[in-house]
Amino acid sequence: MPGTVKDSAAKLAAKRKRQENGEPSKKRRKSGDGGENDQKPNLEKLEAEILESRKHYNNIVTLMSLANESTDPATAFSATEALCRVFIRLLALGNLVSKKDASEKDATVTAWLRERLSEYQSALLMMLYSDLLATKALMLATALLKAVAQYLQDKEESAFPKSFFVDLVDGVLQSPVEELRSKFSEEFLTKYDDIRFYTWQGIKEILAEADEVADEDVQENAFAMLMEVDDVPESSEALENFYVEPPNKKKHPVRSLSQHKKQAQEAWLALMSLGLTRDQRKKVLEVMATSIAPWFSKPELLMDFLTDCYNSGGSISLLALSGVFYLIQERNLDYPAFYSKLYSLLDADILHSKYRSRFFRLLDTFLGSSHLPAVLVASFIKRLARLALNAPPSAIVAIVPWFYNVFKKHPLTTFMMHRVPRTQEERDLLESEGLEDPFLPDEEDPMETHAIDSCIWEIVQLQSHYHPNVATIAKIVSEQFTKQAYGLEDFLDHSYSSLLEAEMSKGVKKPPVVEFMIPKKIFTASDSSAGEQDSLLVNLWDFGSS
Amino acid sequence: MAGSQLKRLKASLKDQGIIGPQQSKKQKRKNTLDAKGASDKRLNRSEALEGIREQFNPFQFKTSARGPKFEVTTSKPAHGDRSRGINGRPGLAKSVGEERRRQTLLVEMQRRNKVGGLVDRRFGENDPSMTLEDKMIERFTREQQRSHKKGSGSMFDLEDDDDEPSEGFLTHGGKALTFGDGDDEALRDDFADEELPPGDESDGSDVDRKRLKRLRLEQAEEGEGAEEDGQPERKKTKKEIYEEIIAKSKLHKYERQAAKEEDGELREELDKELPELQALLFQRRKPQTEAKDAVLIAGVEKTVVDKEYDVRVKQLATDKRAQPAERTKTEEEKVEEGSKRLKELEEQRLRRMRGEFVEDEDEEMDDTETKKGRGPANVHQSRLAMIDHAEDDDEFGLGAGIKLRPTATELGFDDEDDFLIDDDLVASGSDLELDSDDYGSEVESEEGDSEEESEPEDDEFTKGFLTGANSTAPLSRTPDGGKGSDENGVPYTFPCPQSHEELVEAFRGVEVTKLPVAVQRIRALYHPKLESGNKEKLGNFSQALIRHIKFLGDNFEPQWFPTLETLIRHTHSLAKTFPIEVAKGYRACLQEMEQERPLALTVGDLIILTGIGTTFPTSDHFHQVVTPAMLCIGRFLGQRIPQNLADYATGAFLSILTIQYQQLSKRYVPELINFCLNTLCALAPEAPRNKLGLFPVHEPPAGVRIKGAVRTPIRKLNCADCQVTSLPSPGSDDATKLKVAILSTVAAILKTAAESWHSHTAAFFETFQPALNVLEHLTSKANVAHLPPALTTKLRELTATISRLLQLARLERRPLELHHHKPLAIRTVVPKFEDSFDPTKHYDPDRERAELAKLRAEHKRERKGAMRELRKDASFMAREKLRVKKEKDAAYEKKYKRLVAEIQGEEGHAANLYEKEKAARLKKRQR
Repeated sequence: MPGTVKDSAAKLAAKRKRQENGEPSKKRRKSGDGGENDQKPNLEKLEAEILESRKHYNNIVTLMSLANESTDPATAFSATEALCRVFIRLLALGNLVSKKDASEKDATVTAWLRERLSEYQSALLMMLYSDLLATKALMLATALLKAVAQYLQDKEESAFPKSFFVDLVDGVLQSPVEELRSKFSEEFLTKYDDIRFYTWQGIKEILAEADEVADEDVQENAFAMLMEVDDVPESSEALENFYVEPPNKKKHPVRSLSQHKKQAQEAWLALMSLGLTRDQRKKVLEVMATSIAPWFSKPELLMDFLTDCYNSGGSISLLALSGVFYLIQERNLDYPAFYSKLYSLLDADILHSKYRSRFFRLLDTFLGSSHLPAVLVASFIKRLARLALNAPPSAIVAIVPWFYNVFKKHPLTTFMMHRVPRTQEERDLLESEGLEDPFLPDEEDPMETHAIDSCIWEIVQLQSHYHPNVATIAKIVSEQFTKQAYGLEDFLDHSYSSLLEAEMSKGVKKPPVVEFMIPKKIFTASDSSAGEQDSLLVNLWDFGSS
Repeated sequence: MAGSQLKRLKASLKDQGIIGPQQSKKQKRKNTLDAKGASDKRLNRSEALEGIREQFNPFQFKTSARGPKFEVTTSKPAHGDRSRGINGRPGLAKSVGEERRRQTLLVEMQRRNKVGGLVDRRFGENDPSMTLEDKMIERFTREQQRSHKKGSGSMFDLEDDDDEPSEGFLTHGGKALTFGDGDDEALRDDFADEELPPGDESDGSDVDRKRLKRLRLEQAEEGEGAEEDGQPERKKTKKEIYEEIIAKSKLHKYERQAAKEEDGELREELDKELPELQALLFQRRKPQTEAKDAVLIAGVEKTVVDKEYDVRVKQLATDKRAQPAERTKTEEEKVEEGSKRLKELEEQRLRRMRGEFVEDEDEEMDDTETKKGRGPANVHQSRLAMIDHAEDDDEFGLGAGIKLRPTATELGFDDEDDFLIDDDLVASGSDLELDSDDYGSEVESEEGDSEEESEPEDDEFTKGFLTGANSTAPLSRTPDGGKGSDENGVPYTFPCPQSHEELVEAFRGVEVTKLPVAVQRIRALYHPKLESGNKEKLGNFSQALIRHIKFLGDNFEPQWFPTLETLIRHTHSLAKTFPIEVAKGYRACLQEMEQERPLALTVGDLIILTGIGTTFPTSDHFHQVVTPAMLCIGRFLGQRIPQNLADYATGAFLSILTIQYQQLSKRYVPELINFCLNTLCALAPEAPRNKLGLFPVHEPPAGVRIKGAVRTPIRKLNCADCQVTSLPSPGSDDATKLKVAILSTVAAILKTAAESWHSHTAAFFETFQPALNVLEHLTSKANVAHLPPALTTKLRELTATISRLLQLARLERRPLELHHHKPLAIRTVVPKFEDSFDPTKHYDPDRERAELAKLRAEHKRERKGAMRELRKDASFMAREKLRVKKEKDAAYEKKYKRLVAEIQGEEGHAANLYEKEKAARLKKRQR
């Protein structure tokens, strides 16, 4: 179980660092600045010597040990920093490149230096687990990465030191430091195209390794990191923001958008194959249509995931709707019984859900076609009207203008507002038996609900809603339909607090009307002898007097 | 006229008599002898020539191409040139323009690049038409005129004062600085008299010196006055002149007055005689009045009479017309009037409920379109409402102004509460008037007593709580009496608290149950009539009081509710006088509620919401306080997912309030149904197996379902149940009791809701079908086993009621027929017919656009004009330049030629000489 071992090691390392962080700082304070002052010139001297001549290469080891074993994090860090400078300088001088014509001695030196470099790299990666130094270590590591890519790697082939980067990504993913990851995504992942490319690659590899024993933290972090990436570049030409000088070859994968997409897709798939939690699913679904599916070169691969989500019901299926719609739109996905599924989404909770406005936008799109059968549209109208009876004002405010638009678009459905009995028999029947609503609320197929024969009494009832604005809006169905359509966006994003805010922000300028009669009793029961009736409140509530 | 141009010219010349056959001598003599002919002839001749010249120059006139218009087609009668069809004289205009340019532009051109210079302003210097003689004469006359004007100028002319010496003299402070004249003799004398050594002056301070100088000047003037008599030839000073003038004018005035008085006396005499004359004329007598008048006029001084007369006239002008006295009303009439008033109030309330009294806030809806959709009728109504309001306010202000009544101390009231009663009535009375005033001014006439009597209920209310207070606190002192307190420990005087902190401070030591007494005292002490600042103070106090009610509600004790009730009623009574302040106070509470704990309302909030419900008309379509309050309630009911029994209890209270709010208007509140059904489902002993309706169901927290409560008595809910802290431990007997209480209350609420909504809602069936399902579930066997039998019967009854109502609703249901609108006319594109159409006018319906077009046209015209002018200027300048250049060239040429000729002449002369010499020599040689 390599994952756990690694993990525990990492944790240990983190713990150790934490201890260091706690104690040495005190120690340092006690010992005063003397120690540090001693160290500083020492380090500088060591660094300078290394650069002076090869003789002093052994100083690297000294510095390394200082970096690794120093109890003082400040010293350790400055040693690490110094080492970073040294290595970058050496790389720039070409001392780490093995030349063909070099002497054996030189070759050994080079080999030795390379060993030190890899040692140093692993030391840097270890530092990623430390609370204090993680971000700094990240900066050093990336700087080193750039230098290595620039001087050490082959120009023609891949310039990117993949293995080191994968390790780095792994470290970032595993590190307990939250700040580190945000820094990484902020500074590198979202900025540079090649970093993004290799990060996906790295994530894919890491997740594939951890396939068996899915480390939840890693998975979580990888998820968060993947969620950071959003916009898809337009074309391969748009890929121009490279951290490391890209290889000259035109056809290199880093330069091709389809390769980028492929990597993204694979990373996502690797993550999804590990299984997502409910929250993660929600998050994924939320951005699915905007920033995940566009990354997929074969969005069909998402089909199963999306249909599963869509069928699972509740808010998940609500969220999956946009993804499914994306597939239908882009990939011509044939979703059987899409509308009956959509109809089934209209349950008691939909108008109370926080995704209400999102759903409405989609619903408006789905039912926007004037080629839909009026019977189907009528079912939706009637169902929503039913739901509106139990809906908050903000939902009613959105529903009614939508009805208006739909009525305008499907004139057949306007019979739901205006149906005059034609024959005398009909009238007699109405007179004697009243009217049974022909609508079948439990019917699942929207084509079979007979909603088109029904009426929207519910909206008429809402015309006497307690909130004046809601009531006024509900009245638009009984006014003349002179307007072409209502802009739905104006009505979608309301809530109790926004309505209240609107009321309260107005201020009192005119004296409000005051009830003319001052009630004799409010909380206490009135004398029964006086023949006055108690208010409902007094009847139903105990105020301690009666 | 036929013939060639020349022939025509000759003919016209002949016509005018300018040319013609030679006149005989006789004729000529006759003409010269003719007196007027001599001068006239030449004039006539030149005029005629001018006319002919004009006639024969086709470019002299601008005429319209089609000749003059017929007179009927123009509204403006043509005259002058126009009448002859001449639109303009381009030649003349051109020459005028040329002349003007010559005067301005040319001068400017010539002065260009030249700096400085002298302008000769001497009269006629630049006028070549004047001869030297003329110039001299003109100059002389002008000078004469100037000096003459100076001599005889008015004495008030500041420019040329008599006193002032002619120009060129130095003055100081308006006085001439002349030394050695008689005028200044005294001054110098004074200097001498002072006998100050010259050095002294330099020592003294400047201020001193100035003062002394002034003193001396004054003395000097006095001295002058004294010396005046002695010097007859002295000029008068200004002061004297003024004095003289004043004296003169006084004299004149006196004379005028005397003359007037004389006239008056004469008139009086005539007046005295007039009655007799009248009597003689009409043979009728009005001896008494006349005599009286006569006596009056004779006895009292005339001015006094006049004055009285004036006063009377003014009084008459301002006097109201006589009005029939108010008849004392009988009992029946009073009752009738009261009921009428109540009816009016109810009508107003209904109008507000229907939203017809739309206020402008109401119109600021998030969608402007809806507003448009409501049509002009509503807009009109809202405007009416606004006007109404304005009038009301005005009326209200007036009403308060008219009812001037002496203050309590003046009247000697020793009971401030009595006073308060009275005034409270006034407040409510004027309020009443405010409400009824839109029916016209005839209602206005009823004032005073009728109002007090018209509102017996209000009266009773105030008396009710005030007499109650009286019994506890018999007061017998003036408001500003001592600082003591009665036997209840309530002090007699309070500072007027302006904030809640101050209020708490002020009421420290006063028992909560005695608060109404204290509030009443404050209201009496700081009654707005007593002092000007009190109105504001009481307004703030009412806001603080509302906060205090909330505060008390939060820390309530069961016995406080009567007190809270009285306090709410106090605020209600205050709200009649300070509606804005009270509304603000309540709204502040709502705001706090909304921002700090929208889903965790406290008991204080509940009390405040109750207070709002009783103070303001909850049936209004829109109300500044009630609408937000209702939203707050709806928010809690709709969004709060109950976590414990307290939430259920709070929800139940709010549901009751909701129903009470909607008692009259019967508006539908979806949240209420949701909450009730959800609560019933949550408290049901068994969870329902399938869905009961489209209301959202929240799975209740553990231990909420009623279990084994068969023997639990049913009680009412109380406020303690709404507090999480006082909840009984789950599973205990008390908890079960509470659950049963909630269940029964909610069932009762549902019943009331069903009863109140069944006739007013279109979708009653859809709304209460789920309720029936829930109730059937509750009364199913599995559930009944856990519920007390009394409750079960209640639930069964409720089920029966609702199913009956549902049946009824089904029977009454009809298909919707919402669109029996009058078909909309297609918008016409035929332009409106204009009765007095003027083709020169633009009939743009858009006023702004029309104005803009007008402006644009004007701009264009001006621009063209300016361009034309500029072009003309340029050509003029070019012409001028050319002329100057030509002149210069010509001069040069001339000079050149002259020089050449000179040289040639000289040369010729020299050649001649040479030739001569040569010839001479030749001659000599030959000789």
